[in-house]
Amino acid sequence: MRLADVELRVRDGALVARVTGEIDASNAGELRMAITAATPNDAVGVVLDLTGVEHLDSAGIHLLYRLGESLRSRGQTLRVVVPGGSPADDALRLAGVTRHLDIVRELDEGLRALAAAAGGGA
Amino acid sequence: MDTESQVEEPRRVRLGAGQVALEPAEPILAPAEQVRHLYRLSDPALSELPLAELLDELLVRVRDALGVDTAAILLYDPERDELVARAAKGIEEEVEQGVRIPLGQGFAGRIAAERVAIFIAELDRAEVVNPILRRKGIRSMLGVPLIVESELIGVMHVGSLRPRTFDQRDLAVLQLAAARAAPAIERARLFAALEHEHRVTMLLQRSLLPRALPEMVGIKVAARYLPARDEVGGDWYDVIELPRGLIGVAIGDVVGHGVRAAALMGQLRTALHSYSLESQGPARTLELVDRFVQSMDEYAMATAAYAVLDPETERLRIALAGHPPPVLISGRQARLLEVAPGAPLGGFPYASCPELETSLRPGETLVLYTDGLIERRGTPLSQSLSELAEAVREARSAEAACRLAVGRLIPAEGLADDAAILALHNVGVPERLRLDLPAEPGVLSGARRVLRRWLRARGASEPVISELALATNEACANAVEHAYPPGPASFELIAEAPPADPDSPPAEVVITVRDHGRWRPPRGEGRGRGLTIIEAAVDRLDVKPSSNGTEVVMRRRLTEEARAMSGARP
Repeated sequence: MRLADVELRVRDGALVARVTGEIDASNAGELRMAITAATPNDAVGVVLDLTGVEHLDSAGIHLLYRLGESLRSRGQTLRVVVPGGSPADDALRLAGVTRHLDIVRELDEGLRALAAAAGGGA
Repeated sequence: MDTESQVEEPRRVRLGAGQVALEPAEPILAPAEQVRHLYRLSDPALSELPLAELLDELLVRVRDALGVDTAAILLYDPERDELVARAAKGIEEEVEQGVRIPLGQGFAGRIAAERVAIFIAELDRAEVVNPILRRKGIRSMLGVPLIVESELIGVMHVGSLRPRTFDQRDLAVLQLAAARAAPAIERARLFAALEHEHRVTMLLQRSLLPRALPEMVGIKVAARYLPARDEVGGDWYDVIELPRGLIGVAIGDVVGHGVRAAALMGQLRTALHSYSLESQGPARTLELVDRFVQSMDEYAMATAAYAVLDPETERLRIALAGHPPPVLISGRQARLLEVAPGAPLGGFPYASCPELETSLRPGETLVLYTDGLIERRGTPLSQSLSELAEAVREARSAEAACRLAVGRLIPAEGLADDAAILALHNVGVPERLRLDLPAEPGVLSGARRVLRRWLRARGASEPVISELALATNEACANAVEHAYPPGPASFELIAEAPPADPDSPPAEVVITVRDHGRWRPPRGEGRGRGLTIIEAAVDRLDVKPSSNGTEVVMRRRLTEEARAMSGARP
């Protein structure tokens, strides 16, 4: 059994990456590469949905930072969907990084935020 | 005078080309010498010989009985419509050269095509296909068809190096030998064909069963597939590692036998495995497999049992599709689980499948099986089921459950139907957990799960379980990252809950992660966060670097209340 799965779809000009399962040191690197590779050059950015994630640790948090950096260098934006009280939320809280990441609570909010960011930049 | 006139007794029809067809001979009284020969041909001991030896021995006895120089058996190959030399005495070259005679041609070809006995008085004047006969100097020949249940299976013929005639008695002797050989050949051929199908099916069946069962800490699985005496059926089992550390165990039985059943079994096993990864539980999984069977072009029916265990909560969910009830072994007692069975897979449109929710406590074993294990001719099902429960009730492990069931229920003569058995045993987690793990990122998820299970068994609250699992995961990830070859690439995870005093339950857990690498201070964003997570999740953290490794010791109160009372930071 693979620890996690990711569904990658382009929606409203953004890549929506929905991860289910567990993210740790064994798969964080592969997931980041898969998401980066699937992001079209003309996309406004990526909405990474961690609603279905049951485990996220420092390797997963590292993934969020690295992905954010590489998207910024391409002029794109990252929004991370983390419902309150979810396992991903717990990990971000314990690591004390919740405020340093662009967290939204649900997918549509993330898509609206990306559209707004793209509109503002245009 | 032509050659045929030498034959006096058999009624004959001239075929031309020097050949004469003979009417079958009536059994007639024979002189003492021939009676002895006849007896030797009908010797019951012959039927104990393997086919090749039987044919050889028959030809020797026929040659002696008729005083001929050569004797041969050719078998009919229906695919090529040819006769193939299979056994020979005096003309061994026939077999060695693999002589093939088209049906309807020459001496043997005409015997086969017309299904009559044929006599050749003078080979020089007859039409023969096989040059070996002439080269050998054979002058006269007599041959008969080999027929079983009105199917032609070959030809037996004898030859003489000097011109001679064959009379009614000679024909009777040859026909007796033919009557003796034909069924034996047919039996051997059928057997060989069955053997072949059996081998193919076995290979298919074997290739479809899981090669190795997954290794899981605290849960053990064992299984057996038992082929039937002489048939291969469509029984299967599967052990599936599901998301979130859940374990699925499945067993099934396709109605029917042989290659088709084995192939169908492969499809159903794959379907169940696939749906299990996506679906909500055992009942829905079996319903989806049922829809899959319903959608198949060919009629198919199967029974199956599917159970899902959450090792952390020990919650067990079971669903049956027309399948016999599982056995639960608990404290030296075994009982049948009362699971309302759903319809067999492929049985009824839109069948719904009930589901039983129970638990598999430490020390308990769930036994799934197919009906091949319990079906006994003349024994009521209820009795077979209690025999099964009685057979396995002493089992203290998954392996023992399989061993006892197989040892006590399989009759000495083998099974009439194939059977499968699968046992799932909850070993439980020890009070002191100690794992020696290879330093690979792949072990982290398993370590988290075992620790969660251990914490739950110690009575830890949900937030404590989540946070400590997260902290321990970070300590383990650090050990994995810092494992340097050539040192031993492994680390230890130890979890203990020492009681404050002998009479009170433990209030605190102590988790130690010990690696054999050199301690390196966390660097960069990623690793620093790991340490932050650990510090936030535990009451006290001690990092003890030493020359042969690093020990990370984490302590935390088991519940939030205990934590608050102890005055630890909130």
